[in-house]
Amino acid sequence: MNHSDDLQHLADCSSCRQRFSENVLPFNAARRREGARAFAAAAAQLERERESASDIVERQLRATPIEEWPGLAESPALRNNAALEQMSEEVRKRIERKPVEALAIANLATSIAETLHANAYPPAVMAQIRSTALRDRANALRYLGRLDEAYDSIETAEARLGEFPGAAHDRAIIWLVKAMIQGQMDLFDESEQMITAASLVFADVNDLPRFFQAGLVYGNLLGRQKRYEDAQRIFGDLLDVARSTGDDKTQARLYNNLGHCAIYLDDYARANIHFSESIARFTDLGLRAEVPRTNLGAALVLIGKGQIDSGLARLEDARRVFIDLGMMGEAGLCALRIIEVLIDRGDTEQARVLTGAVIDEFEAAGLDTRAVQAVAGLQSSIDADGATAETVRTVHEFVQGLATDQAQAS
Amino acid sequence: MNVIAADTFDPMIAGLAPVVPGEELEIDELDFARLYEDNFDLLVAIARRKFQVPEVDAEALAHEVFYSYLKRKDEIRDLHPWLIGAICHASRYFWRQNGRRTEQLDHSWAVLRPDPASAGINDLLPAQLAAREILEALPPRYQQILRLRYYEGYSIREIADYLGVTAKYTQKLVMRCLRRAEQMYNAAPARKKP
Repeated sequence: MNHSDDLQHLADCSSCRQRFSENVLPFNAARRREGARAFAAAAAQLERERESASDIVERQLRATPIEEWPGLAESPALRNNAALEQMSEEVRKRIERKPVEALAIANLATSIAETLHANAYPPAVMAQIRSTALRDRANALRYLGRLDEAYDSIETAEARLGEFPGAAHDRAIIWLVKAMIQGQMDLFDESEQMITAASLVFADVNDLPRFFQAGLVYGNLLGRQKRYEDAQRIFGDLLDVARSTGDDKTQARLYNNLGHCAIYLDDYARANIHFSESIARFTDLGLRAEVPRTNLGAALVLIGKGQIDSGLARLEDARRVFIDLGMMGEAGLCALRIIEVLIDRGDTEQARVLTGAVIDEFEAAGLDTRAVQAVAGLQSSIDADGATAETVRTVHEFVQGLATDQAQAS
Repeated sequence: MNVIAADTFDPMIAGLAPVVPGEELEIDELDFARLYEDNFDLLVAIARRKFQVPEVDAEALAHEVFYSYLKRKDEIRDLHPWLIGAICHASRYFWRQNGRRTEQLDHSWAVLRPDPASAGINDLLPAQLAAREILEALPPRYQQILRLRYYEGYSIREIADYLGVTAKYTQKLVMRCLRRAEQMYNAAPARKKP
């Protein structure tokens, strides 16, 4: 994990650290004391701001309609580092389910950060504040598929840190986001270089979560290029690290990814072992919802590869667990996948029975009536012998879209 | 390179009292000041010794690393590996930024004012080339020690301080490096020895 053994030793051994420092430096107590004083003053300022900010951002966002959020940039209570840190957290919380809101908050944060008085914080801290806001904005734009704007924003974020070599960790996080954007833009070589550079920093500063994240991004990037053997090697290496650090959650994710690689490499026996390992770990961790999701993902890949029976078995297993967990929306979506396969096979009678079951389940769970109507429409089509796999896919997309809308509205 | 110093940070705008020499610090500030004082020398030493960053720049880099720590402190698991990793990458980035800024020697000046060290170059050149060839074939640590001793002219004591080892051990190291260089020189195929 570290760049050289002696530096690793220095990190662990206080007497060697002292000897290493003392041997080379002329002692300039006054200059060091002045640096310490400036650092401590800045640290105390940031701490005071954090303590007094409470949950200011959450309250102001809740009390203000989204279309008026840009106006919050003028609010004095939000024009400081602590509030901007809270905004970054709000972006993180929303980015997957409500990317539009995440972008609105990131835009607000960027607007504040870029107009803070230049001397409000030491220049290096100011650069971090600005680059973080721009990075969050880039990430939100990435989730919305606005890749050119995302790229511009992440480039600006990187430029804000350009004059500050000491902000190595922040820069590496920016590189990781940049790599993800480049990956989505199909700039594979550039993305790979960025991930490699970022991973080195994460390893050296002992930031294991981001080290794993960078590795997963890298593996997925290789998968997108159909370089499944390379991806398998990366996930395997990461798995060794995750095992040695006792990180079960990451192990579960890596086994899942290894399972997908094995399917693409036509090694179904190994894929089954990997998926079982993944499911076992998610179960041990109490992440029960991840188990059927793992099965669902595996099933879709298996069906895509023509392994219909194994895929169907996993879909049925996933649906059963979703029902056990009371996740009727996801159980219904899973059923629609099964119906698609059944219709494709010409097994319309079983498809019709299952469609009826989904309607009953949706109604019993009080799900959106539009979802019930859509599935009822599908049943009518099956009855009229006019349903195709494409019809089922359309209904699936519609129901999934409703679920996403509901998540965004909640 | 942006040198961060107290004078570029306006404490009035930041909502802080101006820094007065000898003024008492609050408890939290004392903790941060101690953290800085306990580790500053180490970071500067790494930047200077491992990456040959000039002293003033090394101090600025270390200062920046501490400021960078303030925004990340809640997610840092182990302080010392983080600080050491950060200063190493800061030093590399410093050289990536500054490595290309070295001004090149104006060729016309070089012709007008020849380097005094070039006198008798025709006689010395073969031996120098052979020495350089041997030096470059040595392991990096051996190269570094011989360069410090014979190119830079440092004393054994100074090299010992630089390496963080005793003078006696340094003397042994230099002898070992010379022996290795000699072995390689003698083993080289059919060289016309000066």
